[in-house]
Amino acid sequence: MAFGKIKEITGEVTINKAWCKGCGFCVHYCPTDALAMSSEYNAKGYHPPFIKSPDDCRDCDFCQSICPEFAIYVTRKAETEENENA
Amino acid sequence: MTKRTGVFVCHCGKNIAATVDVKKVAQELAEDDGVVFSEDYVYMCSDPGQTAVIDAIKDNDLNGMVISCCSPTLHEKTFRDASELGDLNAFQCEIANIREQCAWVHNDMEVATEKALKITRASVRRVQHNQALEPIGVPVTRRALVVGAGIAGIQAALDLTDAGLDVVLVEKQATIGGNMLKLSETFPTLDCSQCILSPKMVSVSKNSKIKLMTESEVESISGFVGNFKVKIKKKAEFVDPELCKLCDDCTPVCPVAVPNEYDVGLTNRRAIHIPFAQAIPASFTLDEEACLGLDPVVCGKCEEVCDVGAIDYDKKPTVTEEEIGAIVVSTGFDLYGMEHMGEFGGGRYPDVLDGLQFERLCSASGATEGHIMRPSDHKVPKEIVFIQCSGSRDPENHCAYCSKICCMYTAKHATLYKHHVPDGQAYIFYIDIRSGGKGYEEFVQRSMENDGVIYLRGRVSRVYEKDGKLKVMGVDTLAGRNIEIDADMVVLAQAMEPSKGTAEIAKILKIGRDKDGFLAEAHPKLKPVESVTAGIYLAGAAQGPKDIPETVSQAGAAASKVIALLSKDQLAHSPTVAKVRDPWCTGCEMCVDACPYDAIALVDGKAHVNEVLCEGCGSCVGVCVRAAIDVKNVTQLQVHEMISAIMA
Repeated sequence: MAFGKIKEITGEVTINKAWCKGCGFCVHYCPTDALAMSSEYNAKGYHPPFIKSPDDCRDCDFCQSICPEFAIYVTRKAETEENENA
Repeated sequence: MTKRTGVFVCHCGKNIAATVDVKKVAQELAEDDGVVFSEDYVYMCSDPGQTAVIDAIKDNDLNGMVISCCSPTLHEKTFRDASELGDLNAFQCEIANIREQCAWVHNDMEVATEKALKITRASVRRVQHNQALEPIGVPVTRRALVVGAGIAGIQAALDLTDAGLDVVLVEKQATIGGNMLKLSETFPTLDCSQCILSPKMVSVSKNSKIKLMTESEVESISGFVGNFKVKIKKKAEFVDPELCKLCDDCTPVCPVAVPNEYDVGLTNRRAIHIPFAQAIPASFTLDEEACLGLDPVVCGKCEEVCDVGAIDYDKKPTVTEEEIGAIVVSTGFDLYGMEHMGEFGGGRYPDVLDGLQFERLCSASGATEGHIMRPSDHKVPKEIVFIQCSGSRDPENHCAYCSKICCMYTAKHATLYKHHVPDGQAYIFYIDIRSGGKGYEEFVQRSMENDGVIYLRGRVSRVYEKDGKLKVMGVDTLAGRNIEIDADMVVLAQAMEPSKGTAEIAKILKIGRDKDGFLAEAHPKLKPVESVTAGIYLAGAAQGPKDIPETVSQAGAAASKVIALLSKDQLAHSPTVAKVRDPWCTGCEMCVDACPYDAIALVDGKAHVNEVLCEGCGSCVGVCVRAAIDVKNVTQLQVHEMISAIMA
């Protein structure tokens, strides 16, 4: 994109690894494939997800809505707020 | 009863006579059973030729006739009309094709003459059993379909409604207008493209006789000229155009950004968007592919902010069937992909643009509001190089044909550039200047003389980036020296190619394409707007590269052909259709399944042919185990006679 103000909106994903039970819903349903399962273990012995490609998050909040353990949430990255299209 | 058959063998100038001993064919056939008259003539289809045929019918009291000449697609109608003038039923006249199927494909005269004799003799034996038939009258649906709503489709649709016809106008994109919508000014008069197109677009939207279907595609077609049934698939209408108030509350919340087609990728748009401010229909639309997810609804932010509730993610695509009498195909062009032009840095350097992108830079409604700037750093380019024939006239690597409009639009681009950047310098590399057209040559001359555009005759070998400049390595063949230009911007006059989807629509509508993929006209000189399929006409750049005036003329021509066709009360359908011998039919339904036109149904336990739907293909004859079905004038007896004549 060379001209105009329209840019992607990006979000920042926060994962509470301790609460995660490794169901993989967030990884499976992320529309931009920004998440992946990690190989590390949490205290409960599950594999929590990690953020594979942080720039791809579009702040849709779907992972936040479907996480059964309330272990993931998304906030909008501040700089993209200013880039709202005209 | 043996018929009194006449045989007429045509020389077709030297086309047939160079390979076939035409006189010998005529003389030998004169000896055949039932042949009472046999003659050869240099041009059978000419006025003296046809007069000879008519006279021979009357003088010899002929009741059957074989014309041994070119393909029946060319002159069957000619000679059947002549036959009627001689008071002989048209279906007592048959064509033996000794040009395409004999003379043109052979060299050896002896062998070719023998073959021409057999082909003609087979037809003579067939005609012995021909019956007199009358064409079947079929009603006409006084409604036209126009596929593609660029300037060609819009013009054709408006012309058709002017004649009182109803029109279904189908467009794949979300707005009508096509490529012309993207243009800034038009050559040679430099009038604003949108200023002349927008009123026509509004006329379409306000015309009650036009049923406009955007984001729709033709899915299938059945029927025949005058009575087509066309299935049209419309994408799911997630935004209700009736409810959308164009408030633009939805786009700020949409998190995705994808290249904007309307600005040829120079700007971005959201998944929910309006194609451009004056789009028709005037409504936002949701790009299903760019949207984060509709099934399940992943994001849903646009629906949350839509006050009027115009957005519904549960909408599904719809298929409607339309009854249509005739079709105009105007699916337009795309520019040949920049990615093919590696030597010019196409697709690699942001400041190497194609013609349509440069139009968007010049256009007041474009990416830069009409300021010519480099996409890379938004600086005004001071040296600009235009490369003509980029992808055209290069049979080894790209397209073999001339794209016709590039000479003119490049001269226009250079002129517009000088108007925007008076202290800049424009260079044009060209092979030839092809400026045929009213006021075109004068326009090119003005760009050279008044605007100081430097024309360099020669090709560019390479474009590469160095120190923030684009180095253009070319040759000036008139001065006989190599040229190196440090350019700020390079514009490639990309070749025109048929729009994406032309192959599919051609397949669906069963119309041909030429070697370059453009839609094929029925005859290059005499039927330039007709397709090879009856009732389907062509308009605009889908048929071959052409500019706006030519496109508008062709659209008008196609519309007038449709008007002429649909002004008849009835159309004639060929009477050579299948006929069932009821006593022999057991009602096994094999023919019902075999018929590709759904023309056969079981009535009272016997097969019944709908003569209007039957195309006389003979599929039913092939499967009938009781030989209870035959095609009129191509009966199994006649086929047997023809094979015996050829095998003898």
